[in-house]
Amino acid sequence: MLTCDTYHMPTGLTEALTLWSEAPAGSRLVSGATDILPWAREGRAGDVHLPAMIDVTRVPEMSGYRVEGGRVRLGANTVYQDFLSKDDLRRFLPCMPYCAIWFADDQIREVATLAGNLVNASPVADGTPPVAALNGEVELTRLADGKLARRLVPVGDFILGPGKTDLAEDEIVTAVILDDATGYGGSFQKVGQRRSLVISVACCAALVKTDASGTKFEDLRLALGGVGPRPIRLTEVEEALRGAEISHGAIAKAADLAASKVASRSRKEYRRDVVVGFVRAAIEEALGNQPGAPVEIRGAGETADV
Amino acid sequence: MSKLKIELEVNQRKVVRETEPQKRLLDFLREDLNLTGAKEGCGAGECGTCSVFVDGKLVKSCLMPVAKASGCKVETIEGLAEPGQLTPVQKAFHKTGASQCGYCIPGMVMAATSALRANPDAGIEEIKERLGGNICRCTGYTKIFEAVEMARAVIAGDMAPAELEEDAVGASYIGANVRRLDAPSKVSGRLKYAADMRMPDMLQMQVLRSPHAHAKILSIDTSEAEAMEGVACVITSRDVPGQDGFGVFVHDQPIMARGKVRHVGEAVAAVAAEDLLTARRALSKIRVEYQELPGIFDPQEAMEPGAPVVHDYAPGNVVKHIPVRKGDTAAGFAAADLVLEDDFSTQQVEHAYLEPEAGIAYVDPDDVVVVISPSQNITHHRHMLSHIIDKPINKVRFIMSPVGGGFGGKEDMIYQGMLALAAMKTHRPVQLNFTREESLIASAKRHPSLVHYKMGLTKDGRITAIEFNMLSDGGAYGMSSEGVMRKAAILSCGPYEVENLKVDTTAVYTNNTPSGAFRTFGGMQAQFATESMMDMAAEALGMDPFEIRRVNMMKIGSRTHTQQELTTASLDRVLDAAEKASRWETGAPVSRGSQRGDLGGPDTRAPCTLGARINQPDVAAGKEKVA
Repeated sequence: MLTCDTYHMPTGLTEALTLWSEAPAGSRLVSGATDILPWAREGRAGDVHLPAMIDVTRVPEMSGYRVEGGRVRLGANTVYQDFLSKDDLRRFLPCMPYCAIWFADDQIREVATLAGNLVNASPVADGTPPVAALNGEVELTRLADGKLARRLVPVGDFILGPGKTDLAEDEIVTAVILDDATGYGGSFQKVGQRRSLVISVACCAALVKTDASGTKFEDLRLALGGVGPRPIRLTEVEEALRGAEISHGAIAKAADLAASKVASRSRKEYRRDVVVGFVRAAIEEALGNQPGAPVEIRGAGETADV
Repeated sequence: MSKLKIELEVNQRKVVRETEPQKRLLDFLREDLNLTGAKEGCGAGECGTCSVFVDGKLVKSCLMPVAKASGCKVETIEGLAEPGQLTPVQKAFHKTGASQCGYCIPGMVMAATSALRANPDAGIEEIKERLGGNICRCTGYTKIFEAVEMARAVIAGDMAPAELEEDAVGASYIGANVRRLDAPSKVSGRLKYAADMRMPDMLQMQVLRSPHAHAKILSIDTSEAEAMEGVACVITSRDVPGQDGFGVFVHDQPIMARGKVRHVGEAVAAVAAEDLLTARRALSKIRVEYQELPGIFDPQEAMEPGAPVVHDYAPGNVVKHIPVRKGDTAAGFAAADLVLEDDFSTQQVEHAYLEPEAGIAYVDPDDVVVVISPSQNITHHRHMLSHIIDKPINKVRFIMSPVGGGFGGKEDMIYQGMLALAAMKTHRPVQLNFTREESLIASAKRHPSLVHYKMGLTKDGRITAIEFNMLSDGGAYGMSSEGVMRKAAILSCGPYEVENLKVDTTAVYTNNTPSGAFRTFGGMQAQFATESMMDMAAEALGMDPFEIRRVNMMKIGSRTHTQQELTTASLDRVLDAAEKASRWETGAPVSRGSQRGDLGGPDTRAPCTLGARINQPDVAAGKEKVA
């Protein structure tokens, strides 16, 4: 059971940062709160008492999104359901709707934020692979001499390990900044114990763009979650496929290369097998989702059976 | 702790309240506003019994600090329809029989309402996806999906609203589609389960549970907890005035651990206090000194000489052994052309009814101890409790509250005794609502089983003899083990006529969570072994699996394993119907896997897919997605 002395709902960023920097030790910053409440239960943290909870969801500077110079700046209060319900976000971030549909359920997606998912730094977070594939950066803000001081950290550097991030004590994640991937096809693959409301055993995000003829890979992004303490961007696989003919053989080869990169704490063999199927299925699905004319995958071979 | 002032709109009425800052929206609705339609099935966002709308968006109120709802418009199940009315979704749930135990139903109705508000044309895949955050354990979801599709049609004007009314009943109720009498109370969220009930001056109970699987209790010091402000009483096994011990068959379980604990999660002491938080805080002030004992966790090891003894009365750790003998198995095996031998194991299973255990006890003005709980066995509980609290039977009353799913898991009196003791000690009503975690750790489970099976058959598939030996993990207490073993033995060799059989079922004590009653009551574990053997025998003999069953099935005049002569039998018709319905491709069950001709087709359910709502032309064209 979670208890607290005070629950703050600041309505401005400076107010939030001031409350946060002055909060008694042990206080917690809260966004969607969908992780902290189940955490403070028997079998996990048990009964937890917090001096203060500071809820940032009513900070206007952390809400909304905008596109600038080929990048999408998502305010930290962007919730998972936005990736399904907002047409322009679906266009800018083509792998995010597929990630969102696998994330928890409709009701939790209405309140759970992408930024909160990154701050939790779970090795099996659904949000980290697509953010890595979208060259994501995390915007961290603190008060320095009463003024807002911001820094940007690539997601791969932000997450240091399970539950550990580069976030300093007085900082708040205020935005997640991603590539505008308009025109790409997107995909997200996940295995877990069931479809809804389940944490990944492993997951994979892909973005694919073909050349104008639709026969060659122009660009490809692949990232894996759940196979190591941090999300893995499969840059060697991406390079191997960039410019290559789109064929079942090339995709299968890329999938094998991906599997050789896998490391994890547990069930390594299982995860390795999963990764081969994932990478194939993700590339195929992303090709199928690319806006415009359908893409034909040449050569012998069946589509992945995942 | 400073109070939190919140202003919001609930079901179109303005609400201004001061409340505790840590309250979740669910607590606020249930405790401060007495809107108990939203339930707490898990408290962790998994089950969806607490779904409510906040500013038009469906959320899980157990995951929302109430402060987040401040300034918002909240809509609960109670606000969907005018009093006395039902919405089309609610009527459709009533019509199709979608509400059974009813505990998931307010949340399910909210999710269905949300799905159809979001997309009035939602197809079945999208409906399933949008209901993905809500769990039901009774229906298998079929009736619920039917209801949502029916409501969709009525709302869209494609179906007459009159279709939602009850079908006319002709000369006979047999074969007529009649509606449940209690469904309106469930689809409207008005039905009060035990955790929804309030009584004036009521205390809240919390239970201190054992962290050890097997340990001697050297001492329990409750003085510090008892001295706390707001604590009304602390109870332990010392407070039991009569003869302690309950169980469906053997009364081997004390109300709270007496002398030693036998499984992790066993109740050791309980606190009744003015509020839940005080009761929880008082638990941490109870000092229990344990001396750990070697535990026994494997049923086979439990039977070995020198194994730790769980109950002194059963030095060999055997709860119950049921033997069944018929004919001469040695002669039967000698007459066999083929003898198959194999081992089968099944695992522990939790019932996971959506309603965690809950109850209230009070002492009425005539000194009658009254216990209200969703017990599946109130008469037996009443008799047992009268001995335990040393009162005549007319001074003990049990009231069965609506059962939010039981499936056998609410047959055991694992908490009603504590409530009675606290009510007797304080003369105030006392309520105990289990958390989901507590329900998982303290309630009985399906028996894990190990079956060693030996079957003899002739070349034409006739069974000549069976040896069936089942060992079940009964866990720390006897509960329903005896009955489960008896039923497993009676049903062991399936609905087949077997002249020669030797059946033994045994449940043993271990320091695992107790096993008890669970749908099929031992039948499932036995049938898993028997039907697997039948398929393997068919494969070994090159026979069709239906054929080998027809060769051996019990008919009128057959004698069962326990020598009852059958005057009716229906397996022939069951097999015919199953064969036809499954469009069975005749032949021996050799591995053909995905090449089988009888896969898919009408009445089979396609695997669930995700992403139906993601607007993709491929999806609209019906192309199968990899995901």
